[in-house]
Amino acid sequence: MGVVLNYGINSYISIVVLYFQSHRNTYADVVITKHIITAGKEQAAPQSAGWETALAPLTGAEDARVTSLRHCSLHAALPNIMAAGFKTAEPLEYHRSFLKENCRPDGRELGEFRPTTLNISSISTADGSALVKIGNTTVICGIKAELTMPPSDAPNKGYIVPNVDLPPLCSSRFRPGPPGEQAQSASQFIADVIESSDLINLEELCIEKSKLCWVLYCDIMCLDYDGNLLDACIIALLAALRNAQLPEATINKETDLAEVDIQKKRHLKINRHPVGSSFAVFDDSIIIVDPTAEEESLSTALLTVVTDEEDRLCAVHKPGGTSLSGEKLQHCINRAITRNKEISKLVDKVFESMKTAK
Amino acid sequence: MTRMSATRGLCMRTMMELDQSCSVLREYGSEQSLLSKPDGSSTFVQGDTSILAGVYGPAEVKVSKEIYDRATVEVLIQPKMGLPGVRERAREQCVRETCEAALLLTLHPRSSVTVVLQVIHDDGSLLSCCLNAACMALMDAGLPMSHLFCGVTCAISKEGQIIIDPTARQEKECRALLTFAIDSAECNVLISSTTGSFSVQELQQCIAISQKASEQIFQFYRDSVKRRYSKIQ
Amino acid sequence: MRDTPLSNCERRFLLKAIEEKKRLDGRQTYDYRNIKITFGTDYGCCIVELGRTRVLCQVSCELVPPKDSRPTEGIMFFNLELSPMASPAFEPNRQSELLVMLNRQLERCLRNSKCIDTESLCVVSGEKVWQIRVDVHVLNHDGNLMDAASIAAISALSHFRRPDVAIQGRDITVFSPEERDPIPLSIYHMPICVSFAFFLQGSYLLVDPCEQEERVKDGLLVIAMNKHREICSIQSSGGIMLLKDQVLRCSKIASVKVSEITELINKALENDKKIRKEGGKFGFAESMPKERITTLKREEAPVEMADVKETANEIVNRTETPTEVVSSPVLVAMGTAQVGEGIVNSWGLDEDEEDEPQTEDTKTDDVMVISDSEEEEVVILNEEAQKSTKLSKRK
Repeated sequence: MGVVLNYGINSYISIVVLYFQSHRNTYADVVITKHIITAGKEQAAPQSAGWETALAPLTGAEDARVTSLRHCSLHAALPNIMAAGFKTAEPLEYHRSFLKENCRPDGRELGEFRPTTLNISSISTADGSALVKIGNTTVICGIKAELTMPPSDAPNKGYIVPNVDLPPLCSSRFRPGPPGEQAQSASQFIADVIESSDLINLEELCIEKSKLCWVLYCDIMCLDYDGNLLDACIIALLAALRNAQLPEATINKETDLAEVDIQKKRHLKINRHPVGSSFAVFDDSIIIVDPTAEEESLSTALLTVVTDEEDRLCAVHKPGGTSLSGEKLQHCINRAITRNKEISKLVDKVFESMKTAK
Repeated sequence: MTRMSATRGLCMRTMMELDQSCSVLREYGSEQSLLSKPDGSSTFVQGDTSILAGVYGPAEVKVSKEIYDRATVEVLIQPKMGLPGVRERAREQCVRETCEAALLLTLHPRSSVTVVLQVIHDDGSLLSCCLNAACMALMDAGLPMSHLFCGVTCAISKEGQIIIDPTARQEKECRALLTFAIDSAECNVLISSTTGSFSVQELQQCIAISQKASEQIFQFYRDSVKRRYSKIQ
Repeated sequence: MRDTPLSNCERRFLLKAIEEKKRLDGRQTYDYRNIKITFGTDYGCCIVELGRTRVLCQVSCELVPPKDSRPTEGIMFFNLELSPMASPAFEPNRQSELLVMLNRQLERCLRNSKCIDTESLCVVSGEKVWQIRVDVHVLNHDGNLMDAASIAAISALSHFRRPDVAIQGRDITVFSPEERDPIPLSIYHMPICVSFAFFLQGSYLLVDPCEQEERVKDGLLVIAMNKHREICSIQSSGGIMLLKDQVLRCSKIASVKVSEITELINKALENDKKIRKEGGKFGFAESMPKERITTLKREEAPVEMADVKETANEIVNRTETPTEVVSSPVLVAMGTAQVGEGIVNSWGLDEDEEDEPQTEDTKTDDVMVISDSEEEEVVILNEEAQKSTKLSKRK
């Protein structure tokens, strides 16, 4: 049995791993490694007596003999190894110990997003492209426009075909072969968001009714998977669509063929700016924002909220897991609304910079 | 086209009834243990939407898919026409995660629980009907669960009216469609799957309405199980 | 998942019983199980129950360009699927021999016999024809899937109605069912498959074998016939050798059975037509037997909506309002910007660390110890790496 003792807010981490071999023989081999760093300063470790008395009620052992002093070292490497070992052995306890102090293993608050970077027009052969990084999660979106006949049930509209690809490159959990369930449900989710948020007027994509229209193939590929895929995909898609430029296309009346004028290009008109925020629920009670891949795998439920700039909800996607009450949901929605403003500013800034550069 | 029938006081909805029927659950029915091969089976009928569910489990699992401390849940949704596509995958993910949360999977490590859902007729509220059919089939199979779940679909019409359990026509004309799965223990939201845009107030209202509607469905579960086992001493 | 294998004693028991002309469920040698046919709400959907074997069939149509070799004929497409629900041995997306055999036999029975007039499915010759798609799903496998599938397919085809079309020059208008009544398909005859299972080197035969009888059979003979006593297809599999008079005897039995089954199908179609005309309720919902203890129906019930608005508003007001203050993004390079504070991601460019507002230094330092991103190693490579990434990011 392993018990974690997490100590202090500014001081980091004391991992106490207690192994109880049998309750008859309450022999506790306490290995304490502590490394307390506060902004580069090193403080002296508290006295071992203090540790013992602090430990005893926690562990409930009758005599916990602390034989740790010889293990106690102030090496920089040792706590790292111990931390990694504990993390592998008991990942849930590891994360719980941080959550109790209202923070997470990577140092973020519970309601904090990882730094988000956006870059556009990186793929010159695509009509529009965007690269988004949320922490380590990297997603790139490329848009290609092609000419085709409109579908028979909507002859005056073009269409958008999103496709999310999770290649084996981004994480070892994805195998090569046909798209797995996660990629397919992400593609369906993106398609639903495009439709629900009325992102683009599909009538604009139609060139001539029942004869010719644009179809936009949006290929979203994940290059590095560290959790929170859906948010990154939505931002990438939004930025790529704003960045996309379509050439003018007309139908030659005599030959009945399409003619494309590459010189004249126009941007797409984006009606709404949906932005997603993902949350993970731990132990039915703690909600954290922007989960990493480990946090996602340990969580008991995942939730994604997509809002647009008018504070209307475009999607509330909770594909199962443990239940969530109405109030908790409301907290998440409020956080999502704030995030929307943040990301809108980011996207606007990026596009402004492109314009001023020209 | 609308037809009125006086048989036994059941009537199909007409366009005029829409105002009263917006807060009405369509008539629903279910039959359990109708297939001989699966361990548990049920059909769930909501209005004209009808889903047949079959459950196999706990059964043998492929080594590549086995989990060392719990059972593996697989869900397959077969549409009536054509091959299953991306839309079915998204629904399968919803149903599978709900089942994983409800079943006590740690009681059957290294085994598999397979839920197969066949769409017999789709007249709106498909995902919630799938969830209800899956829950009844799991009950019929006798798999241990920590709580029951049910699905409720709400549609928000263009005028802002909230309609529960919409038909296919109402779904096409609505502005937003929200499906929730509610659990029986605390009446909280297990799944939320939405299309269309709506405001925060509308979301909370729909959740509250779904919680109220779920009470009726859970009562229906209890009644059908009571009836089923009434002959056993 | 694997199916439970048949034990040796069960096998011996079945064969012994067959020798004594006895069957497991008490039928006679030439008896069929109870057949029940129900139709759904929309045209072309039917469920057939042959004893406990259950099969669902759906017919749909679509306008497509015709095949080049036959520009004036419509297209029929058959697809039979063994749903994993039907038996633990069926896995999704697996081409097993049984599946291929059933598909082939269904096609032979319905397409090669030309029971549907495909010329009537042509709309504009060479451009648009109707493609009729028949999807058969096997829901429960208790033997004799072939017969059940063929009964389901032909009943669904007879029940199906396609939309009416009007042609004006090259424009085709398809009318919805509300505008004009849909038209039934023109069916010349109804071919139905009858299966005979042979046991003990062809000495005993059984009609309509159930699943356990199928497992001990030696060979199978499937005869597709219509009520006019025309044989549409014969297939014998299993490698048993049959005598001529055995085959003739089987065909005589088949003709009797086929006429019975055809009558049953016609009666069911008539019933359905009558109910629809009278305006009664139809569909699978109605066909659920109410007297059974395993079924329950609940009528339409209103849901209390009175205080819903108040509860909703309460919840919204109770939670804190979203903050208006947000962090502003930082422009890193042309076309690239970053927002967010806290940890630096492990691909971080050096210049980000300078530009980004560093609010709490302590956190970043601490992170280096805890997190697994070995920042130390990255630093060495970082300078070359970030130079190249900078170049590639700029256009």
